[in-house]
Amino acid sequence: MPLYEMGIIVDPEVAPEEEATALERLEAIITAADGTIVDKDARGRRQLAYPIKKKNYGVYHFWTFEVGGDVLDKLNFELRTNDVVMRSLILNLDRELKRKRKLDKKRDERAAKKAAKRAATAEAEAAGDAS
Amino acid sequence: MGHHKKRFRRRAKVCRFTVDKIHYIDYKDLELLREFTPTNGKILPRRVTGTRPIYQHKLTRAIKRARFMALLPYVGQ
Repeated sequence: MPLYEMGIIVDPEVAPEEEATALERLEAIITAADGTIVDKDARGRRQLAYPIKKKNYGVYHFWTFEVGGDVLDKLNFELRTNDVVMRSLILNLDRELKRKRKLDKKRDERAAKKAAKRAATAEAEAAGDAS
Repeated sequence: MGHHKKRFRRRAKVCRFTVDKIHYIDYKDLELLREFTPTNGKILPRRVTGTRPIYQHKLTRAIKRARFMALLPYVGQ
């Protein structure tokens, strides 16, 4: 199952219980489809760069989770119809991080090679000293 | 000739992402994105910043995402 990242802005004037139920509903959609939530990052109240729905503040939540791609329609529908959520963005992190993972792997391999080479030369030097 | 030799040598522009080995530009990383958006909210061209084309593409995308999520302004002061 692909890894997704979801960012949502919640209405700041809404009661905390209402916000909690909305988030629970989102979580229920994910877990009901055998998805797992990897990380929950609540950034809290923050000033918006421009007003959305005539509101200057928003409560930010960023989640990363794994679900089957077919659940996204459901999730997006919920995000759109729920009045508590002012804005949302879902990214496919697997696609986003493809290049990063590749480059990181390359870098690690190069570092390992370098370390191995250094160890080999050190060993050779030690052997040379001994003889 | 000779008189007007290059007096100022312009500092070589380097790509921040290549130097710092940033392989993924996150739209939530505002401190990084702010370096490439002046207060008027525009995206600085790579002609100015020296960013490599691949990273400029990714940067633009990240900035536009941040704008959508109201983390960065569409128009500044």
